[in-house]
Amino acid sequence: MFTHITLVARWCLLLLLCIPVLAGLVGVIFPALGYFPAIGANAFSTQVFATLFGLPDIWQMMWLSLFTGVGSTLLAVIAAFCILATFYQSSLLGKIQGVLSPFLVFPHAAAAISLLFVVSPSGIFAAITTRLNAYFSHAFTSPFVNEISEMALPAANDGTLLYDGLGLSILIALSLKELPFILLMTLSVMSQPLVKKKLTGYVKVGTALGYSPTASFFKLVLPTTFSQIKLPLLAVLVFATSNVEIPLILGPNNPSTLAVAIMHWFNHIDLSMRLLASSAAVVQVAVSAVAVLLFLGTERLVTYIGKRSLSGGNRYFADGALRASGFVIMAFYIILICAVVYTVVVYSFAKQWHFPLLLPEGLTLLHWNTAISALTTPFINTLLLGVLVSTTSLILVLFTLESEQLQPARAVASNAFSVSLFLPLLVPGVAFLYGLVWFQQLIFQNAVWFHTYVAHMVYVVPYVFLSMAVAYRKFDNRYAMVAQSLGKTPWQVFYHVKLPSLFSAIMVAWALGLAISFSQYLPTLLASGGTIPTVTTEAVASVSGSSTRLTAVYVIIQAVMPLIGFMIAWYMPVIATRKRSRQMLVSGTHSNRSANPVQ
Amino acid sequence: MLRDSALLSMKAACLRRFGKFSRLIKGLTLASAVFSSQLITASHSFAVPFDIPSVDGSIVDVSGNEIQSQPQSPVRASTALKRTSAQSPKDDTQSKPLVRFHAWGGSAQVNGYLQWVAAQVSQRFNIELQHVKLADTSDAVSRVLAEKAAGNHDNGSVDLIWINGENFAAMKKHGLLAKDWVKELDHFALTRPEKNAAMVTDFGEPTLGMEAPWGKASMVFYYRSAHMKALDITPGQTINELLRFSQKVPGRFTYPVPSDYLGISFIKYAAIALNGDKQSLFYQPVTESSLQAVLPALWAYLDQLHPTMWQQGEYMLRQASQLQRLVGTGELTLAFSFTAAEIPSAVNRFDLPDDVRTYAMQDGSLANVHFVGLTYNSKNKTAAKTVVNFLLSPEAQAEKQKLAVWGDDTVLDVTLLTKAQAMLFKEASVHRSALDKSQPMVLLAEPHASWTDKLREAWFERYGARY
Repeated sequence: MFTHITLVARWCLLLLLCIPVLAGLVGVIFPALGYFPAIGANAFSTQVFATLFGLPDIWQMMWLSLFTGVGSTLLAVIAAFCILATFYQSSLLGKIQGVLSPFLVFPHAAAAISLLFVVSPSGIFAAITTRLNAYFSHAFTSPFVNEISEMALPAANDGTLLYDGLGLSILIALSLKELPFILLMTLSVMSQPLVKKKLTGYVKVGTALGYSPTASFFKLVLPTTFSQIKLPLLAVLVFATSNVEIPLILGPNNPSTLAVAIMHWFNHIDLSMRLLASSAAVVQVAVSAVAVLLFLGTERLVTYIGKRSLSGGNRYFADGALRASGFVIMAFYIILICAVVYTVVVYSFAKQWHFPLLLPEGLTLLHWNTAISALTTPFINTLLLGVLVSTTSLILVLFTLESEQLQPARAVASNAFSVSLFLPLLVPGVAFLYGLVWFQQLIFQNAVWFHTYVAHMVYVVPYVFLSMAVAYRKFDNRYAMVAQSLGKTPWQVFYHVKLPSLFSAIMVAWALGLAISFSQYLPTLLASGGTIPTVTTEAVASVSGSSTRLTAVYVIIQAVMPLIGFMIAWYMPVIATRKRSRQMLVSGTHSNRSANPVQ
Repeated sequence: MLRDSALLSMKAACLRRFGKFSRLIKGLTLASAVFSSQLITASHSFAVPFDIPSVDGSIVDVSGNEIQSQPQSPVRASTALKRTSAQSPKDDTQSKPLVRFHAWGGSAQVNGYLQWVAAQVSQRFNIELQHVKLADTSDAVSRVLAEKAAGNHDNGSVDLIWINGENFAAMKKHGLLAKDWVKELDHFALTRPEKNAAMVTDFGEPTLGMEAPWGKASMVFYYRSAHMKALDITPGQTINELLRFSQKVPGRFTYPVPSDYLGISFIKYAAIALNGDKQSLFYQPVTESSLQAVLPALWAYLDQLHPTMWQQGEYMLRQASQLQRLVGTGELTLAFSFTAAEIPSAVNRFDLPDDVRTYAMQDGSLANVHFVGLTYNSKNKTAAKTVVNFLLSPEAQAEKQKLAVWGDDTVLDVTLLTKAQAMLFKEASVHRSALDKSQPMVLLAEPHASWTDKLREAWFERYGARY
């Protein structure tokens, strides 16, 4: 019975991931081919693509998407490996994880806005520079530095990197955001017990043979782990080529990247632009595919060239330069994080704050009051949706994993399954979400909560699965065997043995699902038609407003909400474990009853 | 018993494993968190936020190009007013009808005002008003369109929508709005539509009773007086003085791209002001020859202006609201807005510095009206009309005009009101950063609707597709 249920859950999961994405793609491909009855376009043709490629800027847009996506991913990968090579055997590694991990739950939009705050000509770095200049040039003539500050204006038209036509600002911002992800992803792979054991052995041998730590990282650790982080890297790459908010906020707009243009065309007042948007969405899928091919090609090339170096016997691997860049990158991050936190927090409480001054004229709770009074309903909606989505996806994922162990699928099926798992991550969101809404309008147009729920599930399930899978598959099956040999049913083994052992992993996966659901913007807005306001939709709407201070408050709220989920996930198991072990110790034989899994 | 103890010890072993797992899990968590936040916000979060909807729309009278705002004769109390409260469909036995008002949600003042309206209609008419906050009004337009395409003709998710200009034109073209319902509203007569064509014309497009006027606005400029002092310069009072200002202190002024409504408004203002002798052309449907007649002066001007603008004109803002943010941080010194009242209230909320001052250009200010539309497939049309009638009541209009609330000018003809009602519209005190309303203002009517697209297309063709 239980076995059947888990099998059903596996199929549900598969359908849940594939149907929305494929339906969404179909909903985009039809208009791209000129079929969109709502505006009276009924004939299939390639006319729309001809129009698209007739645009003077289209190649430049595609190039920008490709260049920033591939460039940022390569840069982030190289930088992440530099840091790992420098620190992976050092005691600082834990601290680095601590510094970089909050970056992960920081939504992209929030990250882009805070970067803009910090590096703009009126940002904190410019203010510090201006004050230092003023101080040095007037240090001997006038001691009253503050008088100068009133006259100082932010530099006009100086060559900041913001909005540059080559897309370098996008490239740098994207890699700043991707680096922590790649780093932590690699670390999590390296810390899997089996891999870890192997790596420790390798490194010991390497060290004994006189290889430097950096050399052993690049020659021993990296080749062993790379295949396991490849799929996540590809997801990052696709994400980078199709990201909207970072190019929108920091990038050029003459022209912009393809994804940004798609979004503008979809939202264009002239509804016939939707045809163009749909065809561009199809092209976006192609651009992302080209990026993936380029990346895989680069990987091949590096492997080919690297082979000789692997066995070359050289005990060093640009040690000095790599270590230096590892330290520089980390220092850069720490400075940047301090500047962002300072700016955002101070802005959220600031009264008047004139340019070169480092402190505002006064502090006020006004901005927080405004934000909080508007957030009660959205907050409840967000929580409700998040808990619902995260809990059900967790149950589905657990059943699916259980069914994998009870009834291992054939190799083909299991490959198909892992591809479908990555499907929502490998198909650019801009490409399928608009099409999905079109379909949702055709069926159950009133089930707003259901549609929003499905749209969230598409993004939440893969992450919950990825987070759970490693822990689950590594569960020592001997416990289950012992229980089974004692006559327990699969359900009893699952409920009384596996779930308690995996409790902390489950909580973490749940918090992750929560965080992902919290940060959904477009899926929420499109699927609910705006009738379910969440904290994120409200925050994003506030950004289109003009208040830096209110935006700062929303950035903070957005960053803090998922963190609270993770804190719960980290401390709940600790508390639960303590409570239970205390119970067991204190109540001695009485605990027999509570510990008895049967009846 | 034996079985129990075996299991007990096994369970203890399981529990001990928690510790070992926790580390691995933390790493995983982080990794997945990354994913999560990346993918999720990924493609979209910012998408819409940066698009401002066309909040305000078109304007005034097509006949004259310069309309002096003139005092009108007092007298005349409205008979319509007295009927208003009686007309509410108060029926406690039935469930509360829900009216969903889709409106741009980027302004704290507008949102606050709509909360007040929701409380009022709930109390007075037992209607639940839900403000659906949009980052871009066209989202709601496309939603209604999708519903129509899917055959949902009587149970739409949008009841009321705050629109004007092109969004209205699009909805009208696709038949997405209910027709001819506005004249049923008692308070609509107070806007004096028979004398005031702006109340029934949206960017030169007749409204045909599909949308009710809600508020109006005119274009004003504002500047940092401390910056002007530091730079030793005064802001321009005409379109040509503006160019001289920007040439003297480059990088201190910019305008949004014309896909933004404030951007196209600037282009229209410049086009009208630079073609003083050909102004009548703007109030007829655009033709190729009339377009070619006015463009040379505009291009000559913009060619000179662009290199002197913020970011050398290479990067232009997508939304008008960003202008205010940049004046707030000090990167810009001079900017403009279509809502004069938002400037003092932004100063009160510390979003603009206290040295900001507002003024109107001497060669004219573009002015327009914005509307509330009712969708053709709304489920609760009666309740929605009751809400709109309340929006047009002197009380709601006066509340909206208060600087502390929103500061949006009323569409009512104050001369039609009773003395008590007219008193509601008096401001208690004057803000230093507010526009001096005692000065006469030269108002420029919006050009005929056909000009908007032509001017925008011509601009994009000449200066590139900026998205």
